[in-house]
Amino acid sequence: MGLKDILKSSTFYEILQGMSVTGSYFVGEKVTVEYPKEQIPPFERFRGVQCLISDPETGELNCDACHICATICPSNCIFIESSEGPDGAKQLDSFVIDLTRCIFCGFCEEACPRAAIAMTSAFEFCTYNKNDLILTKDWLVENQKNLHKELRKR
Amino acid sequence: MAGHESHPTAPPKPRATPEEMRERKRLSRQRVSDDSEFITVSMGPQHPSTHGVYQAVVDLDGEIVVNTRPNIGNLHRGVEKLAEVKSYHRFLPLTDRLDYISSFAMNHAYAEAVEKLMDIEVPRRARYIRTIGDELCRLSNHLLWLGVHVMDFGAQTFFLICFRDREYVMDLWEMLCGARLTHSYARIGGVAADLPDGWVEKCRAAMEFMPRRLAEYQRLVEKNRIFLKRTVGIGIFTREDCVAWRVTGPSLRATGMERDLRKTEPYAAYDEVDFDVAVEYDADVYSRYLVRMKEMYESCRIILQCLDQLPEGDYINQDAPSQTFPRKKQVMRDSAAMVQDFMQTFRGPKVPKGEVYKAIEVPKGEMGVYIVSDGSSIPQRLHLVTPTFYHCQATPALFEGEMISDVVGIFGSVDIVLGDSDR
Ligand code: SF4
Ligand code: SF4
Repeated sequence: MGLKDILKSSTFYEILQGMSVTGSYFVGEKVTVEYPKEQIPPFERFRGVQCLISDPETGELNCDACHICATICPSNCIFIESSEGPDGAKQLDSFVIDLTRCIFCGFCEEACPRAAIAMTSAFEFCTYNKNDLILTKDWLVENQKNLHKELRKR
Repeated sequence: MAGHESHPTAPPKPRATPEEMRERKRLSRQRVSDDSEFITVSMGPQHPSTHGVYQAVVDLDGEIVVNTRPNIGNLHRGVEKLAEVKSYHRFLPLTDRLDYISSFAMNHAYAEAVEKLMDIEVPRRARYIRTIGDELCRLSNHLLWLGVHVMDFGAQTFFLICFRDREYVMDLWEMLCGARLTHSYARIGGVAADLPDGWVEKCRAAMEFMPRRLAEYQRLVEKNRIFLKRTVGIGIFTREDCVAWRVTGPSLRATGMERDLRKTEPYAAYDEVDFDVAVEYDADVYSRYLVRMKEMYESCRIILQCLDQLPEGDYINQDAPSQTFPRKKQVMRDSAAMVQDFMQTFRGPKVPKGEVYKAIEVPKGEMGVYIVSDGSSIPQRLHLVTPTFYHCQATPALFEGEMISDVVGIFGSVDIVLGDSDR
């Protein structure tokens, strides 16, 4: 052991060196945000809770109950019921997404041929009651307010 | 590569040679035979140092580990069985949940195997995007590993520093595919979507800045006496052991074996970029750290090269309508694409009869997918050969003859994630 090593070990050289890195962050730029007060908006492609899209003018849903999303869903968590409407066309009666099973893969959005279902940027949906995670048609239509992207882009 | 010169790898004390290691293991085996009293300690399954729900029941002679009984399967979800009831497309998101730290690499391995079975081409642009994705996974996986590994030795702050920089990679992923952890980004025949606007610049900026951060880590870790004392010469696992137990990835390369599937059996765009295989020769915990550190520098280099050479073109194969999904844009306009979408969803892809095995190099080692197809749109049998399973099975041999206080560090150094081993 040379003089240098003795000097190093008696002065806690490594600790000082480590602390110098730590110290440099006292003056550097802050990288964290205080979450509930400040928020970082998610990116456009973010896959949050789904919504059903309605036509902005007529208010009618784009969805025509074709069951593609329910079939492609890897965890079988979309439940669709349809019946024959007054004019003979298919009519969507209920559209339920079971969020307790959903894995947020985005396949439903991708496969839908009518751009009727989309992933929004909503991610805060914790609840004390599991029944709140069974999303109904009305809830999903309401959730359009969280949709911040332009569909049909890809 | 500028980063490579900054490797001050002079070890502070002579390392244990493989001969010494074998002697140590032999002595510990002798202890088993001369029936001395052992203390049995159970580590895990819910202990922060076991990195997941892994239980190791160790027999101790004093402080020396004599015998280990690993106990895995606490996270079993029956993924392989689930594959037998889902079409090839619908199984893809479930591969995210294997090694959830580097999910895209898992998607990629699965997609490569299915493409090999169907014999379809992947467009060149998609291959480049996949290469970038794989390397981003490697980077985020190794950053997480590094933080946790150093935390095992008691350095709490370092974990947060690694997580700060991992965040840049996570942001890139979120921008690219919409998820931070479970990417589901690969598709059969390509990837899910093209690179978004501004992504290339953002990625390039992050990759140019990352080597500087890595050099900072090296400054913190490689000169730290505690870290060196607890890693150098500890947990030696020789090349023969690695081959016998099928330990792959950085742990194998730390023994001096240049086996890297990216080089030996190039897939995606690895044959079009220039990179070195990180190799070390001492086979101890410190060498495994060095290999991963070098791999991170190499990852940045590969990504930068891919961004420079990124070709134009499609991101998903358009010439195999009976195997792949159409692009969403077309589905809205074109009725043929809509029918294709319909058929892929309700009937699934058209697959020939046969068997394939395809392995790729994921951050933790070699990940293989074995598919037996009977010609229908769901696999008859799908087997996932995941690296962590083999790393867990090697733990008795790894721990044998080591001190109990080193077990945590050695276990961390082979890099495991239990979702991968239990499936
Ligand atoms: S795929 Fe689209 S149009 Fe078809 S049922 Fe689902 S949401 Fe409705
Ligand atoms: S995101 Fe995936 S799991 Fe969730 S409803 Fe859509 S297809 Fe199903």
